[in-house]
Amino acid sequence: MEGDQETTGFTLVTRKPNFDLPTACPNCLPAYIYLKLAQLPFELAFNSTFPDSDELPYFENGTYVAYNNEDGGVIEKLKKDGIINLDSPLQSLPDYLALKALIVSWLEEALTYELWVGTEGISAPKIYYSDLPWAIGKVLFYKQTYMARNRLGITKENAEQREKQIYKRATEAYEALSSRLGEQKFLFEERPSSLDAFFLSHILFTIQVLPETSVLRCKLMEHSNLVRYAEKLKSEFLEASSSSPSPPLHSFPSSFSRKSSKPKSKPKTEKTEEEKKFKKRARFFLAAQFLAVVIYLSVMGGGSSNELEYEDEDY
Amino acid sequence: MANPADRPDPDLPTPNLEPGAEEVEELEDINGDGEEEEEYEGEDDDEATAAKPQTREDAATNRIRAESLFRRMGAAPVPVRVHDVIVKGNDKTKDHVIEAEVDVVRQATTLQELLEASKVANFRLQALDIFDSVKITLDPGPPELPGTTNVVIKVVEREKPLTCELGAFTKAETRSSSLEVSAKYKNLFGYGDNWDGSLAYGCDNSAEVGLGMYLPRFRGRPSPFTSRLYLSTQDWLKFSSYKERALGLSLGLLSTEYHDLVYTVAWRNFIDPSRMASRSIRRQLGHSLVSDLKYTFKVDKRNSPLRPTRGYSFISTSQIGGLAPNKATLRFLRQEIDLRYAVPLGFYRAALNFGVSGGIMFPWGSGYKSRASSVPERFFVGGNVSPVCSLGGPSALWGFKTRGLGPNEPRREEEEDQSGDTYERDFVGGDVAVTAFADLSFDFPLRWFRDRGIHGHVFACAGNMAELSENKYRNFSAPKFLETFRSSVGAGIVVPTSLFRMELNYCHILKKQEHDRAKSGFFLTFSTSS
Repeated sequence: MEGDQETTGFTLVTRKPNFDLPTACPNCLPAYIYLKLAQLPFELAFNSTFPDSDELPYFENGTYVAYNNEDGGVIEKLKKDGIINLDSPLQSLPDYLALKALIVSWLEEALTYELWVGTEGISAPKIYYSDLPWAIGKVLFYKQTYMARNRLGITKENAEQREKQIYKRATEAYEALSSRLGEQKFLFEERPSSLDAFFLSHILFTIQVLPETSVLRCKLMEHSNLVRYAEKLKSEFLEASSSSPSPPLHSFPSSFSRKSSKPKSKPKTEKTEEEKKFKKRARFFLAAQFLAVVIYLSVMGGGSSNELEYEDEDY
Repeated sequence: MANPADRPDPDLPTPNLEPGAEEVEELEDINGDGEEEEEYEGEDDDEATAAKPQTREDAATNRIRAESLFRRMGAAPVPVRVHDVIVKGNDKTKDHVIEAEVDVVRQATTLQELLEASKVANFRLQALDIFDSVKITLDPGPPELPGTTNVVIKVVEREKPLTCELGAFTKAETRSSSLEVSAKYKNLFGYGDNWDGSLAYGCDNSAEVGLGMYLPRFRGRPSPFTSRLYLSTQDWLKFSSYKERALGLSLGLLSTEYHDLVYTVAWRNFIDPSRMASRSIRRQLGHSLVSDLKYTFKVDKRNSPLRPTRGYSFISTSQIGGLAPNKATLRFLRQEIDLRYAVPLGFYRAALNFGVSGGIMFPWGSGYKSRASSVPERFFVGGNVSPVCSLGGPSALWGFKTRGLGPNEPRREEEEDQSGDTYERDFVGGDVAVTAFADLSFDFPLRWFRDRGIHGHVFACAGNMAELSENKYRNFSAPKFLETFRSSVGAGIVVPTSLFRMELNYCHILKKQEHDRAKSGFFLTFSTSS
């Protein structure tokens, strides 16, 4: 648990940095890059004690919080709530959805597989458990490995087949994205989008976090334009000094309207005033019944305890 | 269960340094009758009389001897030495376990001391709770060693070592009462070891499953050793937007009448399934390792824990956390003090109870001033327990709901209209807390109430909390702390039951702060002796 500086502005809470990345967590890095691409000034805070949470990363501003396990993720929630939407002019483009499917499903699946299964989680301890005691980290590592296998649908019977499928899809995705990107700065025209955030995060994680023996890393390194794309964006947006005031691409309203979301898991049902009153009366009735039973028992059977007290008094 | 040690064996021979032949014969005669007398001590008079008919002369002789012995004992100490301690009846229990509890009799040098020591030894053996009956008798020592006696300990081990119990307790940590069902197996391995499995459910939606072991002595140490493996959950979603789960092991290293030392190591996890937590709580979600040592010094001279009318009590609890090399272990220092005093007023069993409690905690380690203290270790005041009964640190104030006062923060915003049942703020606890109360209890004039222990009371209480960690100590000032004190007064009826003490009170809130969950009105509290 680490605190951040006192701020009333925007704060992104992620897992800790490592491997020369601002955050080593593959789920947190896209949100970080997205905010950097949008040039939104924000503070970075870390949570290093909750490796198995799907709420991280989360974005907060005062009492507003956007968790990663709501509304499709932090980035989608920021778009939906009108805070930052880099994709608004691009969503109508025909290949937007296709590229999105490639990046957020095939490549994300490949990354998850490579991190937890392909490389046997060799990088996971530094990402998730560096601040936790060894025993707790070990248990959580096994838990997260098991959950990753479940999420990817890997069983003993289909492990080999599933591995081939995942690598094949990753290879095809890399080829498609490499040819789509060419030598462009961004995936779409000259403006950054959330897909750049996801893709850049994938590339940086694969190159810097996964070991050199990683199959996925080797496949990615075959596409030099993808590596150049990542290096360019990293040096321009991530490694630039955070104090340099560059004009933001978008204006950020201090008070923003957003669609409300329902964070509570159980659905609220409409309660009429009558139902509320009825329930309240029922609670009072039950409490009165219980009280009556207790008083009866105490009055009828409380004589012995009083005798004990009186005996104390005699001494 | 008889306690033969209370009554001297009338056949105990008068110790002589140089017994003559006649005296030896007398001793042998006494020994022969002594066995009968041993049985006599453990049984009713009628049974003993029916067991072995005695002649009138024998009975008269024994009576004369007994009177002679009593006169000697009344006049001066009767020197005697314990030659041997003989243990009988223990099929499973190891000899050394019993001998360790009765070692006190070996130190006796006079008959009077021996009788007193036998009483103490009997009490200690019964306190092991592994015997159905304990009988201690005194036999003459070997004839060649005059002035000696053998202490014979006859025990009857429990026929049914497995028991089930249902009880109500108040846990100091949760400030609420809980119902506990436990199954206990006594003396499983013959070392006086007691094993128990328990399931507890608290009023505050907490639940705990535990497995415990109690050893009266461990490696020759006089203090009992306890260990407890537990899995617990506590639901504070309604008050502080988090749930706490813990898997831990606690070891009772020292437990005497006044001192208690416990080491706890636990894996603790905070989650917020509602995703509504305030900023401070959000920052603390996750896993942590607890490794702390807790020392408690307790003196309770009150005449009753549930209705004290005389006496005083003092408790000091010191806790240090972070006893592990890993920096992720929760590091904190915590100190609690609780002082109570009851003054009898002499009419209608009236008594004035005063109490003042205080506590302070702070993180330690690098960057301790700016680091936030762990939320579960903070102080929370408020709840449905009576301050009169909850011994051990600042706990509750009449009229203030569970975790109903102190530092609080706004929860995550939600645009939909609140139903009114949910709170908008999280109570995050304080690093320093002070509470005080005064309670005047009295019997009602009607005998019907007095016979059942139902009495009335009038009370006043006050308390406050503040944060110190995360550099907030810079904003702390004593005048401001005093200025923001909460207080309430009230009166009520106290109904003691066999499980708990119930109070039906009317409370009037004199002073509260914004967002405090307190209101004037009728309240029920349930308390058990903690």
